[in-house]
Amino acid sequence: MRTNNRGRAWFVAGFLAPATLLYAVFVVLPVCQAFQISLYRWRGISEQRTFVGLANFQRLAGDEVFRQALAHNLAFLVIGGALTLGLAMAIAHAIHGNGRWARLIRGVYLFPQIISMVVVAVLWMFVYNPSFGILKASLQTVGLGRFAMDWLGTPGTALPAVLVTFVWHAVGFHIMLFSAGLRTIPAEVQEAATLDGADGMLRFRQVTLPMLFPVLRVAIVYMVIGALNVFALVYLMTVGGPDRRTEVMLTYLYEQAFKHSDFGYGTALAVANFAVVMALSGLAMLLLRRDPTEAKA
Amino acid sequence: MRQPRWRKLLRDGLVMAALAAFALTVVLPLVWVFVTSLKSSPEVFASPWSLPASPRWDNYARAWREAGIGQCALNSLIVTLATLAILLPVGSMAAYVFARYPFRGFRTLFGAFLGGMTFPLFLTIVPLFFLLQALGLFDSLEGLTLVYVAYSLPFTVFVMTGFFQTLPQELVESAMIDGCGHVTAFWKVMLPLARPGLLVVGIFNAIGLWNEYPLALVLVVSDEIRTLPLGVANLMMTEHYQSDWGALFAGLVIVMGPVLAVYWAFRDRIHDTMVAGALKG
Repeated sequence: MRTNNRGRAWFVAGFLAPATLLYAVFVVLPVCQAFQISLYRWRGISEQRTFVGLANFQRLAGDEVFRQALAHNLAFLVIGGALTLGLAMAIAHAIHGNGRWARLIRGVYLFPQIISMVVVAVLWMFVYNPSFGILKASLQTVGLGRFAMDWLGTPGTALPAVLVTFVWHAVGFHIMLFSAGLRTIPAEVQEAATLDGADGMLRFRQVTLPMLFPVLRVAIVYMVIGALNVFALVYLMTVGGPDRRTEVMLTYLYEQAFKHSDFGYGTALAVANFAVVMALSGLAMLLLRRDPTEAKA
Repeated sequence: MRQPRWRKLLRDGLVMAALAAFALTVVLPLVWVFVTSLKSSPEVFASPWSLPASPRWDNYARAWREAGIGQCALNSLIVTLATLAILLPVGSMAAYVFARYPFRGFRTLFGAFLGGMTFPLFLTIVPLFFLLQALGLFDSLEGLTLVYVAYSLPFTVFVMTGFFQTLPQELVESAMIDGCGHVTAFWKVMLPLARPGLLVVGIFNAIGLWNEYPLALVLVVSDEIRTLPLGVANLMMTEHYQSDWGALFAGLVIVMGPVLAVYWAFRDRIHDTMVAGALKG
């Protein structure tokens, strides 16, 4: 029995070792280093690092571009999030069942989610292309051609244009979440509510929404993470422009670290981004820890 | 309380129209990319809706050879397959222990792996950039592969742990009574039984790796080892000057075509795995 136990211990250690080693070296170690590097001034690819304490974060607090970037991330979260979750909820509800349309849409709704973000970005750049894009052609078809413009190149329309793309990409994932949530609601509950005279919006508000609450909470946390970590979409579609009107935290981080070789400040931006994600998802969890409709019932 | 019939019909009609509009919004842009990939540049400029006079398959040849998309596709294929070849055995071994061999420190280690499923990738991007340089792995497919393995481990370990928990324990016990050790029981009995789980985890990871952009952007600089997303993004920037739009759209089809085909073939299983991963609770 003794040797057997020792054999078991060796087996456990040996089987965990490769995964743990890779994960420790390429994930855990860099996470720790990130917090350390954010306390240094470190420019250029040299070994010269100067410890500056929290100076990077002080600079960040007064950085107008960072403030703008954060505001744009919050626009993605609040406006993009509301649109995405509203649309996803409505569509998940409409395809809950077995009609022909429902089955068709179940086949395709994840397409925008599974194709590369690079494809999404380039595709939508051509939707918005001012000389031969789909949007311009559509407006011309319905006689509104005079409203065609360079949406991505105009300060007032660039952010809304990227936001629409963000929603197009994100909505499928949330339809998936809500559909899974709807399937957990027993059919009898819905039927009972219908027999009691609750139908349409009333049934949705009184029965479906409260039962979907746990899924909604998860969806909101994913939305926080997704909206604060937008990168490829903005970087490829506008590079944060025009005039920083679409700059987000991660495109600014990339610019500081990899264009200006200001690695200390870039990493401080990464730590700040991480802190905002943690704070907001924690806040969401806290606010939504209980079903608000529960008290009324 | 019953609604009149015409109101129900009207409502169903509106819902159907809205769903049709949604389906078109999803599918039409993708169809448009494909149609445009077969047009000549003047045709692209003429009208976005028109069909090509005759399909220009040579757009694909130009994208593949002259624009270097062929090399990029090969690089992406190598990185994706190499990552899976390391990830699946390494991830399964850890998952098997997590599922079947409770040990001290289990919660901490398993929690550390799961934590990687949600934390923002960009937190590590600067340290990773220097770590790979220090290890002599910067700007190499080997370095990118190892990083991809590490960042794919959390999801893989999570799903495979769940999968191993569903397999019957008696099979291992009877194998061990027959004289197999823990290691042999894993390779000979459990891993073959886990094939359905490995397949779906493999496909799911392959899609993500084929599509991956930010890590490759930072960790790869040489033209010859660009992956597909890097190649297409680069093509987009250079085509602004050369305006060979047909080749660029052919490049987009080369990136998304395989993903959509694989997704369509395995859509139910991919869907279920995504739900399981997303609602891990």
